Amino acid sequence: MANNLDEMIRHAAEIYRSRHLLTAEGLGAEEIVSIFKIAEYFVEQGINGRKRHDILRGMTVISAFFETSTRTKISFDLAARRLGADVTAFQATASSLAKGESLLDTLATINAMGADMWVVRHSQSGAVELMSRNSDCIFLNAGDGRHQHPTQGLLDCFTLWRRWKGEMSGKRVCIIGDIEHSRVARSNFLLLQTLGCETGMAAPGTLIPHSWPILGARRFLSSKEACEWADAAIFLRLQKERMEGGLLPANDGFAKRYGMTCSLLQKLPHLTILHPGPVNYGVEIDAESAADKRSVIREQVTNGVAVRMAVMSVLAQKQRH
Amino acid sequence: MDTRADLWIEGGKIRHCSPQQAEIGRETEVINADNLTVMPGLFDMHVHLREPGHEHKETIRTGTLAAANGGFTGVVCMPNTEPAIDSRMTVEYIQRRASNGAVDAHCCAAITKARAGKELAPLLDLMESGAVMYSDDGGCVESAEMMRRAFDYVAEFDLLLTQHCEEHSLTRNFAVNEGEMSAKMGLKGYPAVAEDIIVARDILLADYCGNRRYHGAHISTAGAVRLFREAKNRGQRVSCEVAPHHFILDESTVQGFNVNAKMNPPLRTRRDIEAILQGLADGSIDCIATDHAPHALHEKNVEFSLAANGIIGLETSLGLSLTYLYHTGVASLSRIVELMSVNPRRVLNLPQPLIASGEPANLTFVDVNKEWVVSPELFCTKSLNTPFDGYILKGLPVMTINRGIVTECKLT
Repeated sequence: MANNLDEMIRHAAEIYRSRHLLTAEGLGAEEIVSIFKIAEYFVEQGINGRKRHDILRGMTVISAFFETSTRTKISFDLAARRLGADVTAFQATASSLAKGESLLDTLATINAMGADMWVVRHSQSGAVELMSRNSDCIFLNAGDGRHQHPTQGLLDCFTLWRRWKGEMSGKRVCIIGDIEHSRVARSNFLLLQTLGCETGMAAPGTLIPHSWPILGARRFLSSKEACEWADAAIFLRLQKERMEGGLLPANDGFAKRYGMTCSLLQKLPHLTILHPGPVNYGVEIDAESAADKRSVIREQVTNGVAVRMAVMSVLAQKQRH
Repeated sequence: MDTRADLWIEGGKIRHCSPQQAEIGRETEVINADNLTVMPGLFDMHVHLREPGHEHKETIRTGTLAAANGGFTGVVCMPNTEPAIDSRMTVEYIQRRASNGAVDAHCCAAITKARAGKELAPLLDLMESGAVMYSDDGGCVESAEMMRRAFDYVAEFDLLLTQHCEEHSLTRNFAVNEGEMSAKMGLKGYPAVAEDIIVARDILLADYCGNRRYHGAHISTAGAVRLFREAKNRGQRVSCEVAPHHFILDESTVQGFNVNAKMNPPLRTRRDIEAILQGLADGSIDCIATDHAPHALHEKNVEFSLAANGIIGLETSLGLSLTYLYHTGVASLSRIVELMSVNPRRVLNLPQPLIASGEPANLTFVDVNKEWVVSPELFCTKSLNTPFDGYILKGLPVMTINRGIVTECKLT
């Protein structure tokens, strides 16, 4: 079985074109599926077991979160440790950096101590790409501004791929909620479309980009309309500051029009529900729907570690050869 | 331009300008300008020379050297210096610092004190000290009431107000044009309509205040071109300028988070470029101005949204204009001269340099067919922030003469 894993990683590294994972843009279906197969191996070998691999042994992974995160950070850290890497994590807010050291200074300083791979979350779109241009290390984008969150997109698609037994073509997936500010949506639209899915979206007009047709998704007026059309629905977290910033009028029934409730879900027996978390219960999804068997929210979290292990394995393999 | 002639220049003056051969002495240096075109000295009415206050980006010395190297003999310095150009003292400081150079450096003074939009700057005192126009450039005079007050205050003196047209409430924290790129890259957009709204507002105010003179700085949208065209057709005394990057590059240039494609106003769409080319050809747009905006590397090579806005332009403007307007057939050579020399001085009410015997020599020699590669390391400007590095251009400034100083342009 281990030989099989090595073989899959070698194959994936051969067809994977970049040195990094910065964006879902440009990833081909074959590249994506080769990563899924490795992730599937990790899931089936018992992600919850304590089995450690030595794929990243001797590599130093810097986990740099310039924006707070719990689940993504822990997911990446666990993934790197289970592959045998030395992981050094640091959290720094962009504002504390703004006081003195620039992003590229921080990068150069830490690289001078020896680093092989960076996992970076940053509040500014393009920040990880900027770092990758100014360093020889491998970079994994753990979310940059509103731009991209490719591993989240991969784990969402992987979750659907498993549920649909690899048959993605022609499946309909809608994304509901704050599209404008969502890096998850931007990654997911690209990956889903590459895998042959039709995509849709539903959101208030102030939370959709002005030039939305470029996203390649059709628009629906409500979660009900979108979910009746779709095979799966990804609900996005509604940040409180969007409402406080005046992009949504108060008390205008966001949850009713754009949320998922158990009464709506009752009429949709074949729908799969995803949410990147953390959930605002009663806003995007009510607690009953989140706990329903049609919801794969917990599975997404588990799959997240496996997908990140798969991506790191491929990038490390690529670096070695 | 349509004539072949011998020019004899002595003591900074044109002694002889005629198809007949000049009878020159033995010590006279003869420049074979057989393949060169002589233009009245080029003029850039929108540059940021950064001094006083931001000398790490550019100084009046390096900026005017860059201007001469790019073929210009006159520039207007924008007022977003530190302190702002809002007092006689600052105007005189800049004039003094530029007095020995080969380039006439004029001042665009601020409309409001410290460009803060709260109270008018001493506009008449600034006029007396030599300011040629007024703007809070770098930002827009946000209040319509303040803009109206400025039009009224200078009305009797017929001074020229110019605006950086940006409705700030629509552009907060923008990084790129609002459109396909902002949607894809997850960047905050600057909608074209935010420019159009201020152009429309100011044109209406200028009319209301008694057909005042008004100039739109670095316009970038199809809407702004249309608004200026219509205002001119109605007989308003308005004019506008466009920067070369806005008629060459579209918003897709920012792909890959290219900070050298980040400026204010941002690069727009193909449709806007088509409208600007039309405006350049039909006279709706009066001038080409660079909005030369030098920045140090540490201000540019940062997270895209935090990167300083602006690119350098003095040493590429002529080459770009000849390549993308003249050699493409959008504009004739004499139209290029209008856009880059005659019209800026006309808009500013400055005397026109003439190519005739007895006139001061204020000239730019151009090899309009020379191909060259843009190499920022040869530039005189202190900064390197240009998206045109490595471009192959057709048309090269070769030499300028102004104030008795001959400058050989060294771009290749």
